[in-house]
Amino acid sequence: MEQHIHPEPKAFIWKYVFSIDHKVIAKQFLWTGLMFLALGGTLAMMIRWQWAYPKTAVPVVGALFLSHTGGAITPPTYTSIFTMHGLIMIFWAITPILIGAFGNFCIPLMIGARDMAFPKLNMYSYWMFFASSVLVILSFTSQLGAASAGWTTYPPLSTNVGAPGWGQTYMALAIFATGVSTIMGGINYIVTVIRYRAPGMTWFRLPLTIWGMWLTAILNVLFVPVLGSAALLLSLDRLAGTHFFVAGAAVGIQGGDPMLFQHLFWIFGHPEVYILILPVWGIVGDILSFFSRKPAFWYKGSVFAMIAVTVLSAVVYGHHMYQTGMAPLLGLGFEMLTLAISVPAVVLFVNWLNTIWKGSLRLEVPMLFALGMVFVFGAGGLTGLLLGTISTDIYLHDTMYVVGHFHLTMAAASFLGSFSALYFWFPKMYGKQMDQNLGKVHFWGSVVFITLVFGGQLVAGYSGQHRRLFEPYQYTYIRHLAPLNRWTSFAAFALGATQLIFVVNFIKSILMGKKAEQNPWHVSTLEWTHCASPPIYHNFDIVPTVVRGAHEYADPAVKKKFGRDYLDQVEPGLSAVDEDSSAGMPEPEAIGAE
Amino acid sequence: MGDVVELRPRAREDFTSVIGMMIALGAWAMMFGALFFMYAGMRSHALMWPPPGVPRLPIGLPALNTAVLLASSGAFSLGLRSLRKGERRALSAWLAAAAALGTTFLALQVVVWRDVWASGLQPSTGAYGSVFYGLTALHAVHVAAGILVILLVLVRSLLGKYTEHNVMPVRLPGMFWHFVDAVWVLMFVSLYLL
Amino acid sequence: MTARRLLRAVTGLAMGAGALLTAPFAFAAAPQPGSGYGLPVDVSAEGHRIDWLIGVTNVLTGILFVLMLGWILYAAIGHNEKRHVAAHDHGDSRKSIFLVLGIAGSIFFVVDGNLFFNSTTDLEEVFHNFDKVEKDPATIRVEINAHQWAWDTRSAGPDGKFNTKDDIVSLNDIKIPVDTPVIFEVASTDVLHAFNLPNFRAKVDAVPGQINRFWTQGKTVGEYEIGCAQHCGTNHYKMKGVITVLSKEDYARWAKEASENSARLFDENDKDAHWGWDWKGN
Ligand SMILES: [Cu+2]
Ligand SMILES: [Cu+2]
Repeated sequence: MEQHIHPEPKAFIWKYVFSIDHKVIAKQFLWTGLMFLALGGTLAMMIRWQWAYPKTAVPVVGALFLSHTGGAITPPTYTSIFTMHGLIMIFWAITPILIGAFGNFCIPLMIGARDMAFPKLNMYSYWMFFASSVLVILSFTSQLGAASAGWTTYPPLSTNVGAPGWGQTYMALAIFATGVSTIMGGINYIVTVIRYRAPGMTWFRLPLTIWGMWLTAILNVLFVPVLGSAALLLSLDRLAGTHFFVAGAAVGIQGGDPMLFQHLFWIFGHPEVYILILPVWGIVGDILSFFSRKPAFWYKGSVFAMIAVTVLSAVVYGHHMYQTGMAPLLGLGFEMLTLAISVPAVVLFVNWLNTIWKGSLRLEVPMLFALGMVFVFGAGGLTGLLLGTISTDIYLHDTMYVVGHFHLTMAAASFLGSFSALYFWFPKMYGKQMDQNLGKVHFWGSVVFITLVFGGQLVAGYSGQHRRLFEPYQYTYIRHLAPLNRWTSFAAFALGATQLIFVVNFIKSILMGKKAEQNPWHVSTLEWTHCASPPIYHNFDIVPTVVRGAHEYADPAVKKKFGRDYLDQVEPGLSAVDEDSSAGMPEPEAIGAE
Repeated sequence: MGDVVELRPRAREDFTSVIGMMIALGAWAMMFGALFFMYAGMRSHALMWPPPGVPRLPIGLPALNTAVLLASSGAFSLGLRSLRKGERRALSAWLAAAAALGTTFLALQVVVWRDVWASGLQPSTGAYGSVFYGLTALHAVHVAAGILVILLVLVRSLLGKYTEHNVMPVRLPGMFWHFVDAVWVLMFVSLYLL
Repeated sequence: MTARRLLRAVTGLAMGAGALLTAPFAFAAAPQPGSGYGLPVDVSAEGHRIDWLIGVTNVLTGILFVLMLGWILYAAIGHNEKRHVAAHDHGDSRKSIFLVLGIAGSIFFVVDGNLFFNSTTDLEEVFHNFDKVEKDPATIRVEINAHQWAWDTRSAGPDGKFNTKDDIVSLNDIKIPVDTPVIFEVASTDVLHAFNLPNFRAKVDAVPGQINRFWTQGKTVGEYEIGCAQHCGTNHYKMKGVITVLSKEDYARWAKEASENSARLFDENDKDAHWGWDWKGN
């Protein structure tokens, strides 16, 4: 459907600050997200330092922020560090980068829309997110320390009983605010894909990236409100003296029920892990096909698998609560549904493996990151089986094994997927080419050290190390794990250092990168074939008419006729039918070339 | 860049807005749904509900209040209908009525809270008080927001911003207002009657 | 039961086959306490069920992991653009779809099926089978009350009732007889904790206002650690205790002495000390 063209603003504030242009908002989310990624990463380094050299002064960071203890981490500070690390990484780093930045950037461009359905709502979404970021920073400045009840924020620990002071309150409010932002974004994504696909862009011609983003948006709109509710009730408990989640000696028989928070939290929390991974699945599905120069294997199967996972993700949350005294029959139901997810997950996975099989792989940076994501996600997925099963979870629950597992799936896979996307779309975003060699160093460093760090966590947890321990070596039965933890920390420091290569590359490329061509990767989707790098303000002067899916590669007949190995989504192609429906379309390369 | 024809098929754009609003209300419904889920969980764990020794909630005034809010919703609908027929002045009158009835609801709600508070039930009394005050307060915040929106629409209506060809800016707030109303009916039934 | 044994035999074979590939991870389950990378020593009568299921699954997933890695590496190198022309295959032929669904189905039935089948039987027959244990006259009952940051423990004295003068009460210290079932009922007074006995493969959350339970049975005399597995605040990392498995005679002697000591030290007015509850049972 043809969209109305907004006049392009000229003033700086409307152009770059309160912009309604999805491409600018994408960059705003990207930059804010990268800042928080750095912050969350620094916190991770501090945790790893504490486990490698307990109670000794943290270099650099310690001198800056922990001067009152001579730079060392104390137990209360430690609880704040891991809590803030988790919350920041999930809500203020991965979410804005993956969904805020790439969702915003890719959806209109890839479906052939001129902007989001509700551009102003899009702007509000970013600024709501910005407001929540301010609350996060405020939490750090609070007198009794930042939030400290763990990223799961379980009451009663997260109520005034266990975490007095404004730090925890700010975070509860920040979670609510960022939730509102996410929902506003989600509404926009859903409606844009439903209403503003270019003519001919049928549902099964959508790139997998769009499917991932769209399903994520649906999960966001459905389940973030549940988290919002939980955050509100928790805030009431903290601020208004209600007793929703307080029980035990503090309130006597008139108490509420802390388990209800866990239910609300995981009704949201399990979909959340798919919220963070579905876009990556989509992006990786596309990139594997693009850089294997081969059609995505069983595209429809991948789409249905993603839909199946989306649906199932809503009904398996109980697997996080097996040890809470859940009724055995209920647990069994959750276990069955949880294990059932492995069917669509394997379908998706095998489709990826089949996509690269017998391809003609170009191991450029986005492809390397995509392959890395497949690898870590495979490892993460396989380790999840033991946690989805009740009896084996008895032993592994709340150990570092869980930490290793969800870091591989949620953190490492979304991290590598995000960077795959970043290297891939950077030329389109900034009109500049990134340094490929630095990118390759960044990739190898990242994937090797990620494997070591989270592999180390798996081994530690398997040997019995609990999560969230200020000093694990208090326990004799795991004291011998100190060297393992130290080596894991070294890998983590190396992983952190590797990211500096990216920072250099990113800044350098923006400032003085080589100018990017319109379609440097020679791929088939609209943003590359019908938009300049970077795209004009309203993306498309004339919205193209789409005639095929996004993965038409390696057809020998096409090669013979056109001298290249792909067809874009618009050009006539080989058959007469196609030529009809796209009559009068300009040559793909001509648009935006001015 | 050449001249670009501006196409704006209003009906289709309107439909887009309606879908957007429905999805937004769906999200809102999930939020209230989570509150009701919490409430149901709380009740199912309690041995007795209301717990022994807790003062009873009134029924008369909240019932009257439910009628007031329903009337407000009705007034809004009639306003929208007037606008569709092109009666702009009637729209303003109905909007004013809707806002007034909404404000009455809030005022009566404050009276209910005061009475209940005086009878000895407070948020810190325990789960029962928490549920009662928490749910009604979160709803009241929505009513207050709704009233502000209606007043805004009223002002714009008085300025003559709406015509029968441009009903969307009135219809969307209306959807929200009816939603807030529907949530109240559920709250009234589950908090006071059941 | 025979189906189960057959399954165990088959998966046992698979274990052997996969052992070479995943040996460091799956079989480093070192018997020595506090050494090596593997499950800590198991001193419970039934923990081997969990260990076995973990071990088998590690082997199976280990094989899948190696296959996946090999596949990716082979494709990256062997099907590199320098060496390979891409096949024009959309993968939507009937054959391709059956292949994908076949792989997904087999993994589901073998790996997940094995997990589900064994986990469910183990829970039903053993870990959740409280009926049998409650009926056993030898069964020991222990109440645990968690608080920041210690474990209060209590077992009934000779009168068999909780919260009476002869209760054996202690802090961070539990003694149980060997080869005897023990049921734990666990609660908390302040925040969430999780009562964890890693060497017994047992763990349950301690929730304020709720009594959770599990049972176990020690098979090796010795001292083992109790841990708190759920983040419970600043000193979470120090919330430890010791569980001692005594020979039956030692336990009987100790229990008699401890009960008498408790009775002597009993203070009617110390309300906080009477945190026990009537045994919840089934
Ligand atoms: Cu989950
Ligand atoms: Cu604890």
